[in-house]
Amino acid sequence: MATGSPNYKIILCGEYGVGKSSIFRRFMNNSFLEETGKKSTIGLDQATQMFRAHGTEVKLTLWDTGGMERMSFIGSSYYRGANAALLCYSMRNKDSFTILSQYILDIVMNAEGAKIFLCGNFADCTGENCVTKANIESFERECGDVLSGNYQISCKDNTGLNDMFSDIARVLHQDAVNKMTLRKDMIVRPGISPEAEPAHKRKCCSE
Amino acid sequence: MDEEYDAVVLGTGLKECILSGMLSVSGRKVLHMDRNNYYGGESASITPLQDLYDKFKMGKAPESMGRGRDWNVDLIPKFLMANGKLVDLLIHTGVTKYLEFKSVEGSYVYKGGKIHKVPADEKEALSSSLMGLFEKRRFRKFLMFCQEFSLDDPKTWEGVDAKMTTAQELYDKFSLDQNTADFTGHAIALYLNDEYKNQPCGEFIERVKLYSGSLARYGKSPYLYPLYGLGELPQGFARLSAIYGGTYMLDKKEPKIVFDGDKLLGVESDGEVAKCKMVVCDPSYAPDKCKKTGQVIRIICILNHPIPHTNDSLSSQIIIPQNQVNRKHDIYVGCVSYAHNVAAKNFFLAIVSTHVETDNPEREVQVALDLLGPIEQKFVTVSDLYQPIDNGKQNKVYISSSYDATSHFETTCLDVLKIYEIIDGKPFDFSKIKKTEDDM
Repeated sequence: MATGSPNYKIILCGEYGVGKSSIFRRFMNNSFLEETGKKSTIGLDQATQMFRAHGTEVKLTLWDTGGMERMSFIGSSYYRGANAALLCYSMRNKDSFTILSQYILDIVMNAEGAKIFLCGNFADCTGENCVTKANIESFERECGDVLSGNYQISCKDNTGLNDMFSDIARVLHQDAVNKMTLRKDMIVRPGISPEAEPAHKRKCCSE
Repeated sequence: MDEEYDAVVLGTGLKECILSGMLSVSGRKVLHMDRNNYYGGESASITPLQDLYDKFKMGKAPESMGRGRDWNVDLIPKFLMANGKLVDLLIHTGVTKYLEFKSVEGSYVYKGGKIHKVPADEKEALSSSLMGLFEKRRFRKFLMFCQEFSLDDPKTWEGVDAKMTTAQELYDKFSLDQNTADFTGHAIALYLNDEYKNQPCGEFIERVKLYSGSLARYGKSPYLYPLYGLGELPQGFARLSAIYGGTYMLDKKEPKIVFDGDKLLGVESDGEVAKCKMVVCDPSYAPDKCKKTGQVIRIICILNHPIPHTNDSLSSQIIIPQNQVNRKHDIYVGCVSYAHNVAAKNFFLAIVSTHVETDNPEREVQVALDLLGPIEQKFVTVSDLYQPIDNGKQNKVYISSSYDATSHFETTCLDVLKIYEIIDGKPFDFSKIKKTEDDM
């Protein structure tokens, strides 16, 4: 971390078929595949993009699931060291939305300290069975401060993606900066009060 | 599942996951199943701590051992040689980017009831407590000879023929005594027994060079260990396989290999059959095609202190050469700690392992347990070692061997590469992976 831009790992989470790989492709090279065959993710691993946050260049590395969730579980190692999880659902599939609390549990257990961002794909969806604004609002209330952001995007129309990632970059970077200053304050040595320490140090140096 | 596959892989142990990754990368359609609801099989790291206590029917994990989720306990302890074959495989397949490693802090060997740091370069050889003054100088000469030795350059041979001269003759050439041979052969060249002494010394010299080269990479010891435990390794290769199109199914009810006469049909589970051209599996999925070759004892010990006399190392390895304790097999001790995210703060995990020689295996390893200081909790396993009865070519069922007692992954990788070569008729082509990555 001492050299280069700060790098934040973001993992994609959510049900099979909600468009995680579409988000990944938009992120990686701004492409979109129209056909929605049963073929799941092949060849998608991780990709990195630069963003500007609070005047600093920061790197976001987005990890795709590798399609492992299709018939099975994603192993714990996927979550290791993640700074954020992008919790994805499809706005035109209510089931993919109602199951999200299960995913939150997985994230909290396996990726300690990761910030969770809610991301509804297929925001272009219109029709009866869509996830509604009221659904989302009540879910947000339930989650309380577990969620650090809430976005609705459309990979098809390419709307909302860039704003979402820029915003996530800002939140993550702000959090990292806060943590750094917080940690400095928190380090105390038994028997030495925080104010006394610098004075003690000065004395040492002058000797 | 009702589709047809090129290969069905059974068990998500490290060997099966590496093979699954290699098969997917080489363009085959792979279905990978496991009867457990977690990745790793025998090579998983158990978490939380309560799961370990449950597995050994030991009741409730004590509160004093901190948060259960901070524990990731390996069932089979091993380290990676920094210049070894597994690191090669990790780098070539790109799986390194899923993992983080730390260097193991110290490598030790047992002699005369005490442990000593393994000297592996000329400087350490001269300050080692293992040898007398004159022996040190002779050993230093031997190390320098090995490091210089090159098959392509006869000037470095000094009259030694790598294909003819035996390892014992090489020791004699440098007038090295039995003690020095003990730690050189077992703690540096990492031989399992003394048979190498009567073999041509080419491989022996290569092994000494591998140790020195690995040591030179990171300084303190030649070994690496992944954060969060060895269970991360199979998961890394499983991800590789998935990214190249492999399908994963865990928690499958007893997958069974089915034949039509002698011909392989596929794998059955839950009344469905996945047809396939080959099966790759660990011995537990094809017990009738394996034979027992011995037993390994492994004792997982929870400590709340580093192993005594290891310079307070947060990780270390101790090898007890067979001759030092009148055995036929070495005893290994591997120690890792909270610094590797495998134990709660201030706790250490030491695992003692060896090939079983008597009907009281626990007594066999007492000498190693005595080195550890006070032990908070012990978990003892004695497991059978299995080997396939044939190489699988005939009926297209390729079976890996059980994980042996060695303290590193060299034999593991040899088994994997051998199986792949039998399947494909040629060694694995690492360049295939590189190409696909550029395409992406």
